[in-house]
Amino acid sequence: MRFGDERGPSAWFAWRRLAYCLLLSLGLALRFSPTYAEAGGARQDVAIGVLAYQGELAAALDWAPLTRFLNDHVPGYRFHLEHFDADSLREAIRDRHVDLVVTNPGHYVVLENEFGLSRIATLDSPQALSPDRGTGSALIVRSDRSDLQTLGDLRGKRLAAMAPDAFGGYLLVVREMLAQGIDAESTLKEIHFLGVPMMRTVTAVQRGEADVGVVRSCFIEQAAARGVLRLEDFRVLGDRRGSDAGVAAFPCGLTTPLYPDWPIAVTRTIGHGLSKQVAQALLAMPADTGMAWTVPADYQSVHALYRELRTGPYAHLRDITLAGLLRRFWPALLVLALVLAAWGVQTVRVEHLVQRRTAELRASLRARDAAEARVRGHQEQMEHLSRLSILGELSGSLAHEINQPLTTIGNYARSLLRRHADGRLSEAAVVEACSEIDSEAERAGDVMRRIRDFARKRSAVREPVDMPKLVDSARKLIEGMLLQAPPIVCESSLPPGCEVLADASQLQQVLLNLMKNAIDAGRDLPPERQTIVIRLEVVDKRLVVQLIDQGCGLSAERQAHLFEPFFTTKPDGLGLGLPICKTIVEAHGGRLWAQSNVPSGMCFSFSLPCHAVSD
Amino acid sequence: MPFPTESALVYVVDDDPALCRSLRFLLETEGWPVRLFESAESFLDEIGHQSRPVRPCCLLLDIRMPAMSGLELQQVLRERGFDAPILFMTGHADVPMAVQAMKCRACDFIEKPFDDQAVLDAVAAAVRRCADMLDEAHRREAARSALSHLSLREQEVAHLVARGQPNKLIAAELGISEKTVHIHRQHVMEKAGVSSAVELARLFLRADPGALD
Repeated sequence: MRFGDERGPSAWFAWRRLAYCLLLSLGLALRFSPTYAEAGGARQDVAIGVLAYQGELAAALDWAPLTRFLNDHVPGYRFHLEHFDADSLREAIRDRHVDLVVTNPGHYVVLENEFGLSRIATLDSPQALSPDRGTGSALIVRSDRSDLQTLGDLRGKRLAAMAPDAFGGYLLVVREMLAQGIDAESTLKEIHFLGVPMMRTVTAVQRGEADVGVVRSCFIEQAAARGVLRLEDFRVLGDRRGSDAGVAAFPCGLTTPLYPDWPIAVTRTIGHGLSKQVAQALLAMPADTGMAWTVPADYQSVHALYRELRTGPYAHLRDITLAGLLRRFWPALLVLALVLAAWGVQTVRVEHLVQRRTAELRASLRARDAAEARVRGHQEQMEHLSRLSILGELSGSLAHEINQPLTTIGNYARSLLRRHADGRLSEAAVVEACSEIDSEAERAGDVMRRIRDFARKRSAVREPVDMPKLVDSARKLIEGMLLQAPPIVCESSLPPGCEVLADASQLQQVLLNLMKNAIDAGRDLPPERQTIVIRLEVVDKRLVVQLIDQGCGLSAERQAHLFEPFFTTKPDGLGLGLPICKTIVEAHGGRLWAQSNVPSGMCFSFSLPCHAVSD
Repeated sequence: MPFPTESALVYVVDDDPALCRSLRFLLETEGWPVRLFESAESFLDEIGHQSRPVRPCCLLLDIRMPAMSGLELQQVLRERGFDAPILFMTGHADVPMAVQAMKCRACDFIEKPFDDQAVLDAVAAAVRRCADMLDEAHRREAARSALSHLSLREQEVAHLVARGQPNKLIAAELGISEKTVHIHRQHVMEKAGVSSAVELARLFLRADPGALD
């Protein structure tokens, strides 16, 4: 037996198959034991795969005459039946487990297309009008359903059928409905596919579980003959025999046109000789065996049906109707819709959250900006105040003292011009005025000298200063003062213990001033150009401190005036920072100078004599 | 009175002698007599106990001076009633002081370094103001002097005449005869040097603006 080879079927399916198989074997053994006894072991096995649309036992009984006849008339072979539903029959052909195939016309054209089956005979049933007009479908309703008279009455009704790909059990009716302009999937309310046996469809109609059922033509007539049902309980919907003269002679109720009856086909496992032998035997099979075969019918009408329905071999033509999809997949669609809705709700919620958080973030950023602005405001205020205090300090001495000679000089000069204009300019007046102007100019010069002395007077303290430490404290100080101080990098190549003798607070003032200038120079530049480098090294026994910025630098002309009092490049500068720094450094016996940095910016350097370099 | 005039005088008070001299040089260009003082104290010494300038003048006064400041000097002069106009000279940083100085009605201020024309204009305006003021004071004193020569009775009569009362009513009010009133009236006109009741009234008002209320 091949069932052991079957791949994939579920355990339940295998058990069912096994049970049917045992039963079948028993039945065959009882009825045809002589044949089997004769068969012995020498004969070659030929498997006939049969579509068992009424269940396997029924199929076994139905097709028993076939195997018996072939076993009797084709010597050297032992024919036996294998029963399948449509899918498993297909698998069996694919796996070359069957040699002959008996199936319905629809299934046949599908398999013909897929596996290259070729029919060798068509069943010649007693009711067939001709080999290609042997079978059709009947739509049955309960005879008490007077509301159902034509196919048009099926709108919104429930239909029972065997399977979506069942030929007589579904597709013929779908095509017929289509021919009458009715799309089955969208017109019907529900379609129940009940599977094999076909009797399930009849039962569903009888119980009212379906309004209408699709069965193979003559199915209910044959069932009635077997006493399984009462024919008068059912009515065939849209019986064509009244309207179509070509089928008037058909003995059974018929909703659809007639199609060729079941074929028997050979698969590629079978040789030409055996095909011919079987065909000859089948054509010779007498009617009294209960089954007759005739020459292979034309299955074009079946192809036409599939093409029209765009199913089977023509499934690729199927164009999916929205209504049909809706009906078939509504639970999935509902789930999908719910998922989409949930997703939508989630999206909206997330969006809302994002917006809220963004707003919160913005608010906090605004608050931070405001705080920064406040700090900056305070800082500017403080700087302003410190400037004012310098100004206050200066205005008492410097500003007033510069103003006085300036005013005096101005008075003399303008008076001279007036007298000259009036023609009353005496020589004595010129001499008087000019000598006054001269002495006043001298006086203004004295004021500037006093500014320089200002720093000198204070530089009384001299103590060892650790320059790297001082630079570090100045850096921390300025970072504390400014909200967004750029990076200040200190590179020291000083030998350990290198010190200078100085007034630490004054040197710190110098460092702060130079750092502040360097920061101002880089203020509006990209961050990478704001970094300030402070380099400490010893050159010729002098400690050199360099402050290097990467700003825009200064022209040579401006550099020449850098250390002059009141010269400034800043809109709000006093122009006293660098002169004071210079006097401080010089008071320490050092030198302060500026040069352009390569590639950009300025380098301010000051050198101080080293106090001690411990070796 | 044409300006500048020889009878006027400009006082310059500044602790900076060079600046003082330059101002004199400037003012003399326009013909102003100038006197220089290097401190507020020396200026006070100079004016002694004068309660009023003897001739049209003004002060060019430095706000910032070592001992007595310009503002303090202003205060002293005000207390004395020495009401010569004052031009304060201020430096750039003296603005708050200047504001205080400006609260004085007769004051102006000019900023160092000077615009020469501004100084000269301000001096001229101040001296003119001072001259007007002195003129007014002189006339008031003359009126008072004229009226001071009247006897008590004559003053009573003169007062009523100046108010425009007829002799008859004056006689009734003072309880004397109309004829007596007439005689007093003649004496008043003679002594005060006026010829009508209207002129007499004007004299009264010049001596004391509230005299006829």
